[in-house]
Amino acid sequence: MKRIATTTIAAAGALVAAASAGHAEPLKIGIIESLSGSQTSTGRLYATAVEYGVDKINEAGGFNGEPVQVTEYDNAGGAPEAADKFRQAVADGVDIIFQGASSAIAGQLTEDVRKHNIRNPGKEVMFINLGGEAMELTGEKCQFYHFRFTTTAPMRVNALVNAMKEAGDLGTKAYAINQNYSWGQDVQAAVEAAAGEGGYEVVDEVLHDVNKIQDFAPFVARIKAAAPDTVFTGNWSNDLLLLMKAAGDAGLDVTFATAFLDQPGNIANAGKTALGHYIANNYDNAASESDAFPQAYKQATGHVPIFVEGHSAFALAQLQQALGTLDLGGGDIDVTKIALALEDTTYETPVGPVTVRKEDHQTIRPVVVSKVVENAKYPADDTDMGFETVKIVPAEEAIYPVQESCDMQRPEE
Amino acid sequence: MEFAIISTLNGVTYGLLLFMVSAGLTLIFGMMGVLNFAHASFYMLGAYVAYAVSSIFGFWIGLIVAPIVVGLIGMAVERFLLPRVHAHGHAHELLLTFGLALIIEELIKLFFGDFPVNYQMPADLRFSAFSVFGSNYPFYRLFIGGVAVVMFAVLWLLLTRTRTGIVVRAAERLPAMAEALGHNIPMVFMFVFGTGAALAGLGGAVAGAFYPTNPNMGIELGVIVFVVVVVGGLGSLKGSLLASLLIGLFSSFAVGLDWSLAGLFGLFGLGDWARSLGGLMTLELSSVSATIPFALMLIVLLVRPAGLMGEPN
Amino acid sequence: MASMRTILILAAILLLLVAVPPFLGIAWQNALVNVLIASLFALAFNLLIGQAGLLSFGHAAYFGIGAFAALHLMIAVEDGFDFPTPLLPVAGAAAGLLVGIVAGYFATMRSGVYFALVTLAIAELFHSLAPHLQGVFGGESGVSSMRMPWQGIVFGSIIEVYYLTLGWVLICGLALWTYTRTPFGRLTLALRDNEQRVRFLGYDAHAAKVIVFAISAMFSGVAGALLAISNETANYSLFATDVSAQVVLQTFVGGSTVFFGPVVGAAAFTLFSFLVSDLTRSWVFYQGLIFVLVMLFAPTGIGGVVQFHARHRRQLDRSRLAGPYALALLGGLLIAGGVVYLTETVAVLFGQGYAVRMRDAVDGLPNYDLFGISWNPVSILTWLLPLVLVAVGGVILVRARRSIAGFWDRVGRSDGPVETKAAAPGGPA
Repeated sequence: MKRIATTTIAAAGALVAAASAGHAEPLKIGIIESLSGSQTSTGRLYATAVEYGVDKINEAGGFNGEPVQVTEYDNAGGAPEAADKFRQAVADGVDIIFQGASSAIAGQLTEDVRKHNIRNPGKEVMFINLGGEAMELTGEKCQFYHFRFTTTAPMRVNALVNAMKEAGDLGTKAYAINQNYSWGQDVQAAVEAAAGEGGYEVVDEVLHDVNKIQDFAPFVARIKAAAPDTVFTGNWSNDLLLLMKAAGDAGLDVTFATAFLDQPGNIANAGKTALGHYIANNYDNAASESDAFPQAYKQATGHVPIFVEGHSAFALAQLQQALGTLDLGGGDIDVTKIALALEDTTYETPVGPVTVRKEDHQTIRPVVVSKVVENAKYPADDTDMGFETVKIVPAEEAIYPVQESCDMQRPEE
Repeated sequence: MEFAIISTLNGVTYGLLLFMVSAGLTLIFGMMGVLNFAHASFYMLGAYVAYAVSSIFGFWIGLIVAPIVVGLIGMAVERFLLPRVHAHGHAHELLLTFGLALIIEELIKLFFGDFPVNYQMPADLRFSAFSVFGSNYPFYRLFIGGVAVVMFAVLWLLLTRTRTGIVVRAAERLPAMAEALGHNIPMVFMFVFGTGAALAGLGGAVAGAFYPTNPNMGIELGVIVFVVVVVGGLGSLKGSLLASLLIGLFSSFAVGLDWSLAGLFGLFGLGDWARSLGGLMTLELSSVSATIPFALMLIVLLVRPAGLMGEPN
Repeated sequence: MASMRTILILAAILLLLVAVPPFLGIAWQNALVNVLIASLFALAFNLLIGQAGLLSFGHAAYFGIGAFAALHLMIAVEDGFDFPTPLLPVAGAAAGLLVGIVAGYFATMRSGVYFALVTLAIAELFHSLAPHLQGVFGGESGVSSMRMPWQGIVFGSIIEVYYLTLGWVLICGLALWTYTRTPFGRLTLALRDNEQRVRFLGYDAHAAKVIVFAISAMFSGVAGALLAISNETANYSLFATDVSAQVVLQTFVGGSTVFFGPVVGAAAFTLFSFLVSDLTRSWVFYQGLIFVLVMLFAPTGIGGVVQFHARHRRQLDRSRLAGPYALALLGGLLIAGGVVYLTETVAVLFGQGYAVRMRDAVDGLPNYDLFGISWNPVSILTWLLPLVLVAVGGVILVRARRSIAGFWDRVGRSDGPVETKAAAPGGPA
């Protein structure tokens, strides 16, 4: 219901502004997220963060003399529904699309955007990908109007290896257990690739069905047999929780190196089992001395940023910065100009600068490696546990080379 | 050897969990001919009720209250909702319970949110029962298995050795005759449905503390449970126990086996050819362990359409 | 059956479908494409349950297969294969038919609830295997292509896709309707009513069921192909249980006993999700609620209720029925209002945002906003309002229903349009 209210307000504001400024076109943002279905919890967080960011832009006067308008679309967690909502968003005149909860949907949306832009030159739409980490999005599918404002598997794995080795928690034997789809396969490949750098041997690796395994004990038995020091896993949601619980119950003495341990509910559910395990992600509240951003976020939304909210809000802030360099003179919105401006922007997040790599539109960004501890500064899930920053791996160390498969067609300038 | 023993242990306990959930479904179907699509939702409801109650009154109270609450809800469904659609046949009963499953899932999301809730076993149950090959075996897994075994024994004795059981079975075979003998058949059916639901609720309360309790737990387990009852033979308690154990063991062993069809062809010297085909040929068993139950079901259907223990149509 | 009147109504609807869409916005054109696809899918699904009495819970499998087949053909066309774009759904039909024969062979070995479970598991088999078969199903991100121009038609805009879809849905709908008139269609009806007798007549019941199954799967495949053409992508989530569940909901809310019932249900639910899904997070809940209410109080679905009135239109006494029907509508709306209010309130009060505000609140529970008004969660009025709505609506509905049932009893139709033992369906069904 809130959406209607904000849109109405925005529309009312737009009317007033339009009366004074002639035919200025407002910038329209569409959030096509998983707002029902099994990934609702994650989709909701992305939507909250984007709305927070848009409010910030509007507090600073909006863009093109108008407040930025934002609309939520529920893709119900499925790519076909996302394609449908994309068409609806286009019908509503949306200029920039945001999505984060699923790689599969990101794949769908980036293709939709590409086709739309081919068919409608001059009325381009761009897609800011907040969470789809599949390598192909900046590989075979890379295109000018897609921007990835999150990490990818090699960035997370390299950061984990780097920080854990420094902390002396890496060991010499590694195990990779991952979900059998592009993301899990990417993580597995990254773990293999980083073996030389990290000075470890991959003793065994396994890929399993995504979110279908009820009982992870057999997998733990298999891990146990390989006797690793560190277990790398890109698992998320139930697959991570069940794996960690089964490992804890079996008394398996390993360190987990994860990517999504900070998903809400994980720490509470895993309990003390979670202590000492690692995570690499885009941002953590504890990583910065200053608590200005977490407090500002709490002020606006009622809670400090969790899970994906932090880096999503920064993506909006970076967009805001890019918009600040543009003056469309109250005319029509030109998405290509916005995209070009975004390419040239460097945004200082609390954990370091983020820039866009022009060749594939992957952001070059710092990766925060943290560890679960008791009595954390920012407790997770109402427990006394939380994350303590081990190392912030600087952007230039975390980044990997542009994939050869990326062949980006740039607009004529 | 080590792999075999640990896999057997894991497979049996997982199988027993499957049985715990499928027992109620089998009971209801066997006695009343109603396939309760909302059964897995009752399982989820059990976990959530247990979570809500245990956060105030402690784990054990939750374990007792959950099956009672879910059983009462089941009775209400049988008493007030099912009779309305009964005249339109079993398909409509199935559809009604299917609609209920949707509603229960959405209600859970409405009240408890989309995230997993923090439902935990008490600390004094969190210890390892024994240790095999240096790996701890959690006591709680044995507890789940134990509850399932007790459930099977009680149900079995209740149905075959007690007067109530005889009445229930009579009500199933010849409802008019049983009614003429002075038994309150509607009451019997309500009781059976309530018991079935309560069993699912108990399953949820016990298992929810071990596995995550989230709004998807019903759907995730539900499909597997349906496979269990088809493989075992709908309505056969022994059949669903056997099928549960089979599927538990299959899933557990599959994890450790990097077998693929290409490997099988390799035995005949066709390995490279099969690998070159890719696709299905190179899928490793461990990566598709969740698919095994469905494949098993198709095989059983081909060989023995009535299920392992079911009576032919 | 096909009276002059029915033909006129159908012609009018057809005219609307052809003439109106160009004047609608893109969003509505897109929504209508979805309505058409869902309608065809529901019609194909209903061939099984309505004709042969087989309730499938896994029709997503054939829908999805059709989509992937059409998409692979579309990719081939993109790569230069000379094939007319409007005929792409042929691939979907072929794939649906083939898979339908194999799956149908297994599934129809059993009937009744077994059948439902087997179809469910077959769809689940596809759903769990598809993401692993990169070559065919393209992993979790699926396969993607682009509609190629044909004979000067670009197929770039939604309206072109709309007319393509409309054409296919009309042809397939007509084919399905014709099927029910053929001797074999009659035979499948007999299968539903008395399989034993079909067997004694010397027919192979299993083979007959496999054929119906395959035909149903074929038309589902066409529907899937149309979706693939509209989306230009296909993804393994097409095999998900949700897809199978949606078609069941739509068919039965629309009414499986009437040929056009599933179309009504598909249109109602698709438009419902188009209009409501972005407004409230609880829309899936409302959908489930509507379905259960229809099952309970009007088991023949919307189509069944309409058909009842059409069949007895001579006995319809508008002057005496208009009042009670209006009253029933009022009662239903009041109850719906109360239920929606309660649901949205719960969604707010148990939501995350409110939990945080509760923690930060200085004294008591903070107010919350709903429908543009600020409510106090501990005020009696807040809770009295929905209760009064539901209670008043319930009383009105029960009274209206009694007089409606009385009317139909008097004209000798005790099998009234709705279950006479209970109130008429509430809610915005």
